[in-house]
Amino acid sequence: MTSALIEARALGKSFGPTPVLRDVNLSVEAGRGAAVVGANGAGKSTLIRLLAGLSAPSLGAALLFGEPARALRPALRRRVGLLSHQSMLYPNLTARENLEFYATLYGVEDARAEALEWLERVALGAAAEARVRGFSRGMEQRLALARSMLARPDVLMLDEPFAALDAEGTALAAALVVEAMGRGCAVLASAHSAGAFEEMGFAVLMLSRGRLVGAPSARQSAARQPLARQVS
Amino acid sequence: MNSFVAVLRKDLMLEVRGGQSTVALGALSLLVLVVLVFAFNPGGGEQGAEAAAGALWVALVFSGMLGATRAVSAENENGCIRALLISPLDRAALYAAKLAAAFIFMAVAEAASIILMVLFFNLEFDARVMRLVPAVLLGALGFAALATLLAGISSRLRGGDLVLPLLAVPMFVPALIAGVKASASALGGAPFGELAVWLKVLVAFDVMFVAAGYLLFEYVAGEE
Repeated sequence: MTSALIEARALGKSFGPTPVLRDVNLSVEAGRGAAVVGANGAGKSTLIRLLAGLSAPSLGAALLFGEPARALRPALRRRVGLLSHQSMLYPNLTARENLEFYATLYGVEDARAEALEWLERVALGAAAEARVRGFSRGMEQRLALARSMLARPDVLMLDEPFAALDAEGTALAAALVVEAMGRGCAVLASAHSAGAFEEMGFAVLMLSRGRLVGAPSARQSAARQPLARQVS
Repeated sequence: MNSFVAVLRKDLMLEVRGGQSTVALGALSLLVLVVLVFAFNPGGGEQGAEAAAGALWVALVFSGMLGATRAVSAENENGCIRALLISPLDRAALYAAKLAAAFIFMAVAEAASIILMVLFFNLEFDARVMRLVPAVLLGALGFAALATLLAGISSRLRGGDLVLPLLAVPMFVPALIAGVKASASALGGAPFGELAVWLKVLVAFDVMFVAAGYLLFEYVAGEE
């Protein structure tokens, strides 16, 4: 029985004859964070999509809570938050309506109050009744972060969470992620560079051409020992 | 149930704000009826009733494809469909909400089409027009069920707007024939027994495709 909330076992993905991910092994336990870092096309987003259950593995297994991510029960899906490249927000709904809609889907009690609280937390309280279509990219990213976290998930997957955020927005987002880890959330993130994640105590994994390469730095290992990781 | 209501409410809210589907459906129905009324140049009597029924169902098919495509493809903007797929929302509830939204869009467009048909084909707003309602509603439900299921596939494909009619129209032909016959019978003042035969075919079609969509949407809406 594994205690990892997020786990990849010999995970591989090919699109036609082209392998995008090869033999990826990683696990993230409750309260821990791991950041997968790599260049464009390294396979970071594909890895996140596989572990979120949005895409089927070609080889190996993508597991959440020890169960195949692709066939997760609704009760467990409720405990997963995903921030993707795309904001997953409806442009013609207001910020509050977007969050309230998702809060309802996730069975959050008093969806409206929770939506308003999260809008304040991501410093968008003043824009609560504005339609998302008029938002800047940074505002949309902060709202998307709130969407991914408003059900207080136990597993959080963040695909380039600091993209389009200014320094203030990055600090705000980092604080929310660290807070989530503090209450036991397992976080898997992807990024082009390790910078902010090192400061947050994440284990940093390098992904190159679909393979995990290199070990977590000594600094991260000493700070948290967050991640059991194997590279074949 | 809350999730079903939330998705349907959201779709209707988006439609009220954007108005894209309803305006496009109404405009398309108007166009189809105008073209066909000049093409058929209908007189009165049985021939006029059949021409009117045919024109109405052509409008239904075209508007239905647009409505179903809109209801599903709206979720692809900003990747919202992914958020729905990983949420605790039951896929069947998602299908039911999308079907309900497409049906409502079509029903609104069909109400407008019936009014236009009566005006263009020189019919009377009488009991015969009211007898159209069951056939049109059953047809709208069946086509919405079929097109919503297929739009789940085609909306993710390049050139999906082309694929949807190629898939949907041939499969809808049995219901289309039944719908035209039922509508012509209703407008021609035929006895209810004659109408009922075709309504039963429409009911069977609806049961089959609503059930198929309910069971299969989970597989067509997911990725890869």
